[in-house]
Amino acid sequence: MNKLKKFGKKNIGFIFIIPWLIGFLVFKAYPFLSSLYYSFTDYNLFTGKSDGFTLQNYKDVFTIAVEKTALITTFKYAFMTVPMKLVFALFIAYILNFKLKGVNLFRTIYYVPSILGGSVAIAVLWKALFNDNGLIRSGFALLGIDAPHFMSDPKWALLMISILRVWQFGSAMVVFLAALKGVPTELYEAAAIDGASKTRQFFSITVPLITPVIFYNLVTQLVQAFQEFNGPYIITRGGPLGSTTLMSLLIYNNAFVSYDMGKASAQAWVLFVILMIFTMISFWSQKHWVYYGDEEN
Amino acid sequence: MSIENNNIETSEKTDITPKADIKKSDKVEMTPVLGKKSLSKEAKRANRNLMVRRGINTFLRYFVLILVGAIMIYPLIWMVGAAFKNNSEIFSSMNPIPIKGTLDGFKNAVKSYGGNINIWKSMLNTYSYVIPQVILTVVSSVLTAYGFARFKFVGHDILFGLMMAMLFLPQVVLNVPQYMLFNKFGWVGSEHYLPLIVPAAFATETYFIFMLIQFLRGVPKELEESAQIDGCNVFQILIKIIVPMIMPAVVSCALFKFMWASNDFIGPLLYVKTPAKYPATIFVKLSMDSDAGFDWNRVLATSLISIMPNILVFFAAQNQFIEGISAGGVKG
Amino acid sequence: MKKKFLSAFLATAMLATSLTGCGEEKKETTEATTAATTEAAAGDTTAAPADDAAAYDECTITFDWWGGDSRHEATQAAVEAFEAKYPGINVEINFGAWSDWETAKATEYLSGNNPDVQQTNFDWIGKYDADGTTYLDLNTVSDVLDLTQYDEATLAKCVDSKGGQAGVPVSVTGRTFYWNEATFEAAGLSVPTNLDELMAAGPVFKDKLGDNYYPLVIGEYDRAILVAFYLQAQTGKPIIDENNQLTVTQDDLKKGLEFIKSLEDAHVIPTIPYLDGEGADSMDKSQRFINGEYAGIFEWDSSPAKYVSALGDNGDDLVVGNVFPELQSYSKVSLMFSISADTEHPRECAMLLNYLLNDPEGAAIMASERGIPESKAAYEVVNAAGKINPLSAQAHEEVMNSNPLYWNPLFDSSKLKGDTSTYTTVFEQFSYGMDAAGSSYDLDKAAADLYNGYMDALAQ
Repeated sequence: MNKLKKFGKKNIGFIFIIPWLIGFLVFKAYPFLSSLYYSFTDYNLFTGKSDGFTLQNYKDVFTIAVEKTALITTFKYAFMTVPMKLVFALFIAYILNFKLKGVNLFRTIYYVPSILGGSVAIAVLWKALFNDNGLIRSGFALLGIDAPHFMSDPKWALLMISILRVWQFGSAMVVFLAALKGVPTELYEAAAIDGASKTRQFFSITVPLITPVIFYNLVTQLVQAFQEFNGPYIITRGGPLGSTTLMSLLIYNNAFVSYDMGKASAQAWVLFVILMIFTMISFWSQKHWVYYGDEEN
Repeated sequence: MSIENNNIETSEKTDITPKADIKKSDKVEMTPVLGKKSLSKEAKRANRNLMVRRGINTFLRYFVLILVGAIMIYPLIWMVGAAFKNNSEIFSSMNPIPIKGTLDGFKNAVKSYGGNINIWKSMLNTYSYVIPQVILTVVSSVLTAYGFARFKFVGHDILFGLMMAMLFLPQVVLNVPQYMLFNKFGWVGSEHYLPLIVPAAFATETYFIFMLIQFLRGVPKELEESAQIDGCNVFQILIKIIVPMIMPAVVSCALFKFMWASNDFIGPLLYVKTPAKYPATIFVKLSMDSDAGFDWNRVLATSLISIMPNILVFFAAQNQFIEGISAGGVKG
Repeated sequence: MKKKFLSAFLATAMLATSLTGCGEEKKETTEATTAATTEAAAGDTTAAPADDAAAYDECTITFDWWGGDSRHEATQAAVEAFEAKYPGINVEINFGAWSDWETAKATEYLSGNNPDVQQTNFDWIGKYDADGTTYLDLNTVSDVLDLTQYDEATLAKCVDSKGGQAGVPVSVTGRTFYWNEATFEAAGLSVPTNLDELMAAGPVFKDKLGDNYYPLVIGEYDRAILVAFYLQAQTGKPIIDENNQLTVTQDDLKKGLEFIKSLEDAHVIPTIPYLDGEGADSMDKSQRFINGEYAGIFEWDSSPAKYVSALGDNGDDLVVGNVFPELQSYSKVSLMFSISADTEHPRECAMLLNYLLNDPEGAAIMASERGIPESKAAYEVVNAAGKINPLSAQAHEEVMNSNPLYWNPLFDSSKLKGDTSTYTTVFEQFSYGMDAAGSSYDLDKAAADLYNGYMDALAQ
């Protein structure tokens, strides 16, 4: 009896995760496992035809040209977008954290792109900005520079999608802002007395204190970038020459255009494993750069 | 890279707590810089220099803010202008100001479809499931995050891993099995939006749990320990100490959920089967017929009307961040 | 629960009767009368089947469709008129835009949870009714649903693998050319009526109007169709025949691709890189088209309205052209209505369909919102009421005059048509002259890829 009480006391935290556990078992586990099952079949949802266990779907990801290219493009996209977005979001959040008149208005304005999301208006506008007669190219032309043809040059189209996502930096900014608000002002005051410059203060006080949140943004932005779908879907449809065909665009096409659930699921699980590895590396790297206030040492 | 440099330049010689701040917040002590004010002639000169620098810094900050702001707000301004244009003008000019203005877009936007649904009703529909979703998501996520961040229990690490893993599989491949599940429950076409609301009560949004955990982990345990000594139980600690400490994060969760849920298109499309129950995201697209064509000004006008609450909610919720200072600043 | 209503089919030839008036009148009748005493208001029964066909059960049926504003409005009005006419049948409707509609429908089909009456796409028979168990064989309800209003050959296209009538064709559509007369006039030309005239227009446009003026604009999928038209003219056979066989060889496809190349070379059509540079996903969103720089499009006969609207004040400049004699067209069923095989009320569903499609009263309300009606009774009524877009009617006539061939839905297979599928990749790479990896992409490669794409799609 005593032992049981002790066990209960030790595991009291379990109570708090019960809602999540139920949700996980009821709403997530089944879809999750069924997609894993599909990935090892050549299951067509409508004909219901399946020849049993196969590894072909997984082999295809690494051998078929279109899929291989999509995988590489996805990596390129993620490594291009995530750093740009994080630096930009942190920089803007840092400025918006100052007490300036009208700062509320600015915060709202900066969040507007994220509210507009993937709406039809964004698709129309983004093309109008980057197309051959668009504002961007006209602007460069005024400076005497012949800017790349973003819409039709396979080397540049991905950057255009990337800029769209950096432009929609609102969520990352809000999270940074919330973190910056948590940095006690006393610390800056103490540093100022010691004669530390603002730059030093930023890198030796602000950044270390918000590392848990930088870590959060890094992981979630990586996940979002690897799963990016809307940008290429509404603007380039994967072109030109497949240069913006990201994995999730292929997954979508396989799942909802060809109903090749096996293929779609296998591609999704490859993405899953990649993200898993990246996240495990990030979690492992935490002890070298993330500072947690709740750690006792 | 250049962005970062820019950041350093502007922030180099600035003071982080200018006057406006001191007037507002009562708890902050006088800053050392101001405390040393007017001691000697040199100090006076230094002070004047400081004022000039401060002026320049303020100017630079506003310059950056307005420049970036213009890029951020331009699409919204364009949308407003375009909602007053006709189709051919929308696609032939980037100029937000309509040449031949028309009110048709807004007139048609408020028209109803056979008395079944109109823009206002669709917006009400949206919020009738978004608000429960937000509340349930925040509550269940806070509980789960608290459980994972502050307690060790049997299977903690494995369950944590499983939870994180839920982030990594694209929703596209989960849609079909999930639909089949809800269909078995008889929830498809539910007039109470059950497939959209119920999962929210069970912390199904890993993004938020993870975010709250990260914020929680930045908060030192000392306060909780002393509260425990004072006889608070784990629930009281959660409500009295933890939640106020991470209020900015909790508000962010609520905001994000609000924005994302009210922008969701595919969820309602799969699970709402009566036009009278359609949310705004579906309503906005109702008139879009790719074959016969449609009036873009109407689509843009409905989009504009339907995102207004989101903009207002964001504007209003910001004050929560400001209040957040007092909580975060407690640290000793 | 099983109450029988006696009522003759109302076939009011009087189109002058306004909708609302009609609806209200019937509602009053509903309130005033009980079960067996409903009387026919008019005895005139042009489209009415046998007498006992009038009996029906009181029930609720579900009905869904996709489309735009005016289609939603017309269909809702027609459904209301139907409910008023047949008191006791309650129709629960659901409608939306095309965007992602098929995603939602596919999910429904997967879980066997679809509405009783549905607007369906022609290729859905192959996709979602492969085993013939998704859609009801409409022959089983032909006593209520008058199938004699349809051309037998057209009906035969909407048949599933078991020979069941999976859908009733609402309209038939095909492609022809539309020309911007003003631009041709500016170039000192009249609109082309055959391939030679079109080819000759290319250099004239370039010289007289400038590099950015083209007599015709076609994207990847348009090119695939044009190749099919071009080759069909040579073989006289549908590119994919009734037995799911490709009727052309790889060498033939090569000729088709050469034809496209010759159009590009003669400045008749812009290249894909030039089109991508603007990024408009259809020409009604293209500034160049709106400005008149692209003087011709190759489009469905149902679509001119959106291009006219895109041209704004210059909408009148758009005229319908003929299908060139050097090309052999095809036509296809653009839309169908189907009944779910699982419905508990097949008879009432069929009554709804008959009202919407064949009954002069219902057909008049539905007008030409789903293209020019295929039902003879409906066509007469709608045409007489002047409810057919004249440009659309003219285009439809051109299509029908070109003796269109059979069209196999496999032509639109997801292996062929789609953002990452054969048509897009082949015609894009061929026009760019390079593939995704940057190495050169020539005629031989394009022909081989196109051929393999077809083989792949047909193998399914």
